[in-house]
Amino acid sequence: MEHALVMRNITKTFGGVPVLIDVDFTVGKGEIHALIGENGAGKSTLMNILGGVIPKDKGDIELFGEIEEFHTPAEALAKGIAFVHQELNVVNDLTVYENLFLGHEIRGRFGKLNKAEMIRKTEEVFGRIDVKIDPTAVVRDLQATYKQIIEIAKSVLFNAKLIIMDEPTTSLTQHEVENVFRVMKNLTEQESATIIFISHKLKEVVEFCDTFTVLRNGEVIGTQTTRGEGGDVVDQADIARMMVGRDVINVEVYKERNEGDVLLSVKDIRVDGHVNGISFDLHRGEILGITGLLGDGKEELARTIFGDIRRSAGTMELGGKPIDPRQPAAARGLGIGMLPSNRKENAIIKDLTVAGNMTIVTLPDYRRGFTLVKSREYDAAERYKERLNIKVQDLHHLIGSLSGGNQQKVVLAKWLIAKPDVMLLCNPTQGVDVGAKNEIYNIIMELAELGMGIIVTTGEAAEAARICDRLLVMYHGDLQGELNRQDFSEESIMILSTGGHLH
Amino acid sequence: MGTTVSAVRTSNKRGAFNRFAREYMIVLITIGVFISATIACTIKFGDPSTFLNMQNMVNILRASSVMGIIALGMAFVIISGNIDLSVGAQMVFVGIASFNVINGLEPHIGPYGAIVVGIIAAMAMSVALSMMCGFIVTKGVVPSFIITLGLSYIYRSLSIFVLQSGGINISTKVFQNISNTNLGIVPMPVVYFFIVFAVYLYISRYTVMGRRIFAVGSNSQATRLSGINTDWIKIQAFALLGLTVAIAAIVEGSRMNSMNSSSSGLGYDLNTIAMAVVGGIAMEGGKGNFVNVLFGIIILGMINNVLTIMGMDVYLVNAVKGGIIIAAVLLLRSRGKLN
Repeated sequence: MEHALVMRNITKTFGGVPVLIDVDFTVGKGEIHALIGENGAGKSTLMNILGGVIPKDKGDIELFGEIEEFHTPAEALAKGIAFVHQELNVVNDLTVYENLFLGHEIRGRFGKLNKAEMIRKTEEVFGRIDVKIDPTAVVRDLQATYKQIIEIAKSVLFNAKLIIMDEPTTSLTQHEVENVFRVMKNLTEQESATIIFISHKLKEVVEFCDTFTVLRNGEVIGTQTTRGEGGDVVDQADIARMMVGRDVINVEVYKERNEGDVLLSVKDIRVDGHVNGISFDLHRGEILGITGLLGDGKEELARTIFGDIRRSAGTMELGGKPIDPRQPAAARGLGIGMLPSNRKENAIIKDLTVAGNMTIVTLPDYRRGFTLVKSREYDAAERYKERLNIKVQDLHHLIGSLSGGNQQKVVLAKWLIAKPDVMLLCNPTQGVDVGAKNEIYNIIMELAELGMGIIVTTGEAAEAARICDRLLVMYHGDLQGELNRQDFSEESIMILSTGGHLH
Repeated sequence: MGTTVSAVRTSNKRGAFNRFAREYMIVLITIGVFISATIACTIKFGDPSTFLNMQNMVNILRASSVMGIIALGMAFVIISGNIDLSVGAQMVFVGIASFNVINGLEPHIGPYGAIVVGIIAAMAMSVALSMMCGFIVTKGVVPSFIITLGLSYIYRSLSIFVLQSGGINISTKVFQNISNTNLGIVPMPVVYFFIVFAVYLYISRYTVMGRRIFAVGSNSQATRLSGINTDWIKIQAFALLGLTVAIAAIVEGSRMNSMNSSSSGLGYDLNTIAMAVVGGIAMEGGKGNFVNVLFGIIILGMINNVLTIMGMDVYLVNAVKGGIIIAAVLLLRSRGKLN
């Protein structure tokens, strides 16, 4: 097989600490090659070296048979390397097609923009990846998930030869993920592109990728094909063990619990354009999952309960009393907490320290008179750092210095300190690696055991199946079906979430 | 945990230097301006003591104190993610109202009672106006830049209309004692400035309100989703500014024994913003340190002072001042970028 990329003996140290140690990484032409490992294993560093973002200390890069040296991302791009970043690099005030062609606008005579042609090409690209987005829509009005699709569409548009995708599917649900991978398959088969795919989702790795390389602590643990000689698929648990060095996926996180009385009762909630009359009861000690595809309304439903968006109709009762939170501060006062999705935009206060982020919800509790007593604040942060096993050298460091999983635990901690009765968790393991995922699941179990009512919205059926007692499946704002734990199967969840019916 | 640990460690090592540079760059700039001013005066007059003498140092502080007081309030508003261009006009508007109260009450309740009532009225009115401004900005979801620009026109125009472009004097001589007396060699305006500084430093570091103002400026959405009424926090930041504007109106009015509707408070808006920004308050909000703002205020005070001593053409003073402000902010920024 021809090689698209050969990286040899790549070594990189930051301030005397080795991050990559003699890494050999070979990618065959036309394959989808997954690069996996826990946060901090060195994946991003390796790809940043390839993309010309940071220099390497040692080693060679051979791209399509030529030894190359990239000093800037622009040089890498010129050689056909496109980097689809995890962060959303879209301009909110421009339209979809303007974002796609940003910096590469098609011009007519006198430099006049050829809008019709750009819109046509945008439609063509969206046609290829089978997504329905109006090219002339303003990006601000789109959901974050569509923004991610625009990012991916960019590299499709420019027909890059080697595409690096850094967790492009983090905020996508099953259906969109399949679309994206179908496009990726098309690219590799028909347009002979090669794709390096960085992901935490092992399911996607075994289903859609040809080969995978596992990095751990800056070293290559191994490179394997996802299908053996006889075509049998590699076990996800084996990959996870390679990544973490111990068994994680088969670990049972679910624990039987006794459920209490009805805690939160939601009746006929409507949010214009998103939720069409949803009713359910949440019991004390229950973990209720809400799942569905992109645009199903689960996120809006959670935000409505938290008072973040206004419902157009419906009633809510908490502990038998009617409630009507008009903003998150009111919901917090009633004992409702929410861990929002898209951590960076919605949950991280980047100029505050780790401790500052952990205590932001409960700040008035650490006062003596008017004065904030730092030692009390620090004690609370320290306690929850221990309890949630948050890996941080110093609670006074800025929150940005932590890995995704640890940031997520900090966000969780700020609500746990407040001890809410109802906790809404939106995509609780978004951008969190496999090891930390289990820790977060264990925390959720522990909270339910203590009698908290928990609602988890998630796009991952496997996640819902691992932790939830009961699952509501939404489809275009309607409640399509309800499953009890014994009836969970990825198949039935998929049928319901695509608008089908069981039996 | 390869990269994470190493990233943290490198940022520790380089971060330590950065933190030092960020925290103390402003001190270095202050010393730099101080030495340059001394050298410039020595060259021009052959005698460093024209700039470098105790009385002149006190002068610098006194001349900076009124705007410095407002700059402390301005710092909170900028940290919260807003800006206020109406402080100069608001100071005049509030001052005129308050002095009318004092003049009107003095024959009835005597000078001391009238002054106390006048000061309380100034504070209540100014805080209320600023909170109203914050209310319009947050509930209307409109940029504070344009709202406060509009308010500035309104306050200035109403002041000029009421006094027919003239000024207002205060009948009681007692009022002048507020600003024109000394504590030892320290003029009272400087004392007031340091009291406000101490209180605002405390608020910024040791109160729930202070912390939340930083949080709102850093990420308003995340703060809102932490169950905090972010509109109220932004209004509180405006209230803290309103209070300093009232104090500035009293101190300024007492020092001059008058408030002029068309000439008082001119340029105070941009000067106080410059003090805060030179003092390291980031325009994008969420970042800043009040000790550094103190240095920002002193730097601008020294620049004004030395240009006056050097006898620079008044028409040129602002050009030089502008250049120094830009240079100082660039220096502060370049250190921050190393991070």
